[in-house]
Amino acid sequence: MAAPPALATPGPLQQQPPATGAPAARKARLPAALIAASAAVAAVLALPLVFLLIEAHGAGTSTVAGLVFRGLTRELLWNTIRLTFVVTVLCAVIGTAAAWCVERTALPGRRVWAVLVVVPLAIPDFVVSFGWVSLWPWVQGFRGAVVVMTLAVYPLVYLPVAASLRAADPGQEEVARSLGTGRVRTFFRITLRQARGAILGGCLLVALVLLAEYGAFEILGYQTFTTEIFTEFNSFSLTSACALSLVLVLLSLIVLAGEGRLRGKGRVSRSGALAARQLSPHQLGRATIPVLAGFALLIMAALGVPVGASIYWIFEGGTHSLDGISLPGAAWQTALYGVGAAAIDTAAAFPVALLAVRYPGRARNLLERSTYLVLAMPGVVTAFALSYFTERYADSFLYQSTPLLILCYSIMFFPLALVGVKASLARAPVSLDEVARSLGQSKLAVLRRVTLRLTGPGLVAAFCLVFLSVVTELTATLLLIPTGAATLATQFWVYEQNVSYGQAAPFALAMIAVAAVPSYVLGRFFDRSAHAQR
Amino acid sequence: MTQLAMTGLYKAFGSLPVLTGVDLEVPAGSLTAILGPSGSGKTTLLRVLAGFERADGGTVTIGGTVADGPGVHVAPERRRIGYVPQEGSLFPHLSVAGNVGFGLPPRERRGRRTAELLESVGLGGLGKRYPHQLSGGQQQRVALARALAIQPAVVLLDEPFASLDAHLRASVRADVQQIFRQAGTTAVLVTHDQDEALSTADRVAVLRDGKIAQCAAPQDLYARPVDADLASFIGDANLLTGVLGAGVVQTILGSLPVDPGGTAVPPPGPVTVLIRPEQVELQAADGSRPADMGGPHGPAAAAGPRCLAGRVISYGYHGHDAVVYVQPERDTGGRAIIVRTLGGRDLPPGSPVTLRAHGPVLAWSRKS
Repeated sequence: MAAPPALATPGPLQQQPPATGAPAARKARLPAALIAASAAVAAVLALPLVFLLIEAHGAGTSTVAGLVFRGLTRELLWNTIRLTFVVTVLCAVIGTAAAWCVERTALPGRRVWAVLVVVPLAIPDFVVSFGWVSLWPWVQGFRGAVVVMTLAVYPLVYLPVAASLRAADPGQEEVARSLGTGRVRTFFRITLRQARGAILGGCLLVALVLLAEYGAFEILGYQTFTTEIFTEFNSFSLTSACALSLVLVLLSLIVLAGEGRLRGKGRVSRSGALAARQLSPHQLGRATIPVLAGFALLIMAALGVPVGASIYWIFEGGTHSLDGISLPGAAWQTALYGVGAAAIDTAAAFPVALLAVRYPGRARNLLERSTYLVLAMPGVVTAFALSYFTERYADSFLYQSTPLLILCYSIMFFPLALVGVKASLARAPVSLDEVARSLGQSKLAVLRRVTLRLTGPGLVAAFCLVFLSVVTELTATLLLIPTGAATLATQFWVYEQNVSYGQAAPFALAMIAVAAVPSYVLGRFFDRSAHAQR
Repeated sequence: MTQLAMTGLYKAFGSLPVLTGVDLEVPAGSLTAILGPSGSGKTTLLRVLAGFERADGGTVTIGGTVADGPGVHVAPERRRIGYVPQEGSLFPHLSVAGNVGFGLPPRERRGRRTAELLESVGLGGLGKRYPHQLSGGQQQRVALARALAIQPAVVLLDEPFASLDAHLRASVRADVQQIFRQAGTTAVLVTHDQDEALSTADRVAVLRDGKIAQCAAPQDLYARPVDADLASFIGDANLLTGVLGAGVVQTILGSLPVDPGGTAVPPPGPVTVLIRPEQVELQAADGSRPADMGGPHGPAAAAGPRCLAGRVISYGYHGHDAVVYVQPERDTGGRAIIVRTLGGRDLPPGSPVTLRAHGPVLAWSRKS
């Protein structure tokens, strides 16, 4: 998952109410087909939450309240919140510091570090967890979870912060210095202010990932809402799972709302259309060696341990004791799911993005909100809601079927596709469409000859983003995968849970390999389009 | 013959009216500039003409066919309007030739026509380049060739020179003028730059508060604006108070003849008088003209004008001429008088000078 920096940035609200009081008012035609398509997409996205609410309603308020207000909930709440808080703060510090060192200092080997620091994002959290726990079984509980999760997700802060530091107006720092502000104060008053939106955006993603994580915590033996929902669901305590899901969704919504609050109204912008100018980098001086050591340690822990552990277990894994789907078989299955979900999401995101970018107004706002709802639905809840509903009301029709699994992926990763498609549409300004129309081209011809041509690379990026997310998805897949089928992640999981580390390791490496290269390419794409949008 | 006509065009965004009854006729083969300050609705008007926006009222007629009117809205692609947006808006994924041929039927796209068009805008041989490899001026020309390719009924240009550097602007402007003259194209150019409108167009229509305030040839617009506001919008203007008598107006610069050809000479009484800066002659108080070349020559008009003493407030030297702000010693309501002289020696602030005006002037009844 390449971090989408623009994920939670609602655009300025523009409203153009219909003309009133005009003689012989003729209304501008709103694209009905576009609105219908977008509304349909929004409706499908809302399904899991609707199912969940119907379920909770069916179970009765007192039952649900009883399940929510019990000792277990309090314990889970404490576990989840303290971990989310500590890891988010650590990620903010590590991610921002690393981004500043790479972007603004004369750190030796900046370019190499810039790549290495991002790669851990491509490693599924449960593989990082596996790497640490398989080598050092004493990495457990709260402290283990803090270490492992921080290493797994800090790039979610690093990426947007680095991009924003690169895009920020370096002149502002120079002006601050010339006005008598010292180096350190300039960093806090100017540089951090410039990156504030990016830091908060990154923290939001980190918190949401932590709320939704299952695999890593299961391996670490750390209990959170998500792991408990999973357990309850598997032991058929469905009403209980439903009640806990409601609390989890509420937590995610609080995180989302809090981020919006903190972001504030201040705008970070460059004044004037100055050509991007490089600030002369800060000299680290005597700090060079310690900073280099810090980077080396970070990369060793975040990248070296999981990759090293996987390679170690391939050689040291001992006899293969379990039967399972072969690596190519699982890869093929994974690819099928990934392509299915990615194609659906890219296609579904197109009308929504087109409406949002080209026809700003109330509709855009509403659709943006519905995307937020999906962000607040952890995979385990989405999967749970879909499967429970089909089981209960559709007579198990589609339950644990390929279409349902792909639908679940499509709902979960829709926001990623939307970010990609929106970024790509920014490359196809409406003025080009208008010119094409004035040159005698019909709307369809314009779509084919101009819009799709220009957005092509972005559409591919959106596709890849969803595909990669599917490849490394574990939680929802475990709940919904058809009997007898396996993805790379689930087959890895089976072996890992059985302590067949030697058999699990190749699957871990395969996931890393599949995800690493494209996430690097994707990072570059979003970086460039962030520049193009300015 | 009228190639493009607008009658009573009305357009509002929400409760905010932008166009409030635009009436304008564009003769075939002419280059008409629509001049207005930013926010006057120029771009909205252009977008209504091109068909990207729909008017709330009124009609647009292109080449004798109603394109926008009650119950009629011709789609942009059926209007044969060559649209040249502000930044050129070339298709970044297509080569120069691809851009120019975009509106042609598929068979003609790669044919001779594209090359000819590029030749006509002075870019022969650049067909294989891509937009990002061109300079700003070249991009504008490609956008123009692309618009001309479809043999448009009218070409619409939205601030086409605004994004160019000052030194490029003049040459591109002259080229565009020539290209249009040769092709006999009817063109409408939207701009906020008075110089650009006056120097490029055959006719200039001033858009003010959503209406056309005046449409005239550039020299008429400058010499005979319909009201005082327009006078100060088109170039520098001294607006003095005066009292109108029989054919002459009394001002602090003496009695000056009123332009008999001016729009509707007002009834006698208090008036606002327009004296252009170049109508005022300036003499240093020691008696010699600055640099011995300032001030318009020619016969002194009537015996009426009289000298007015004043002191220089500021002196702006522009090489070919100089603009001097003079505070008259007699009260003019606090306003300085602007004088344009040719060249000139340095007149430091505070220098005593005398002013003398040359008629004829324009006068409008003063709003009470």
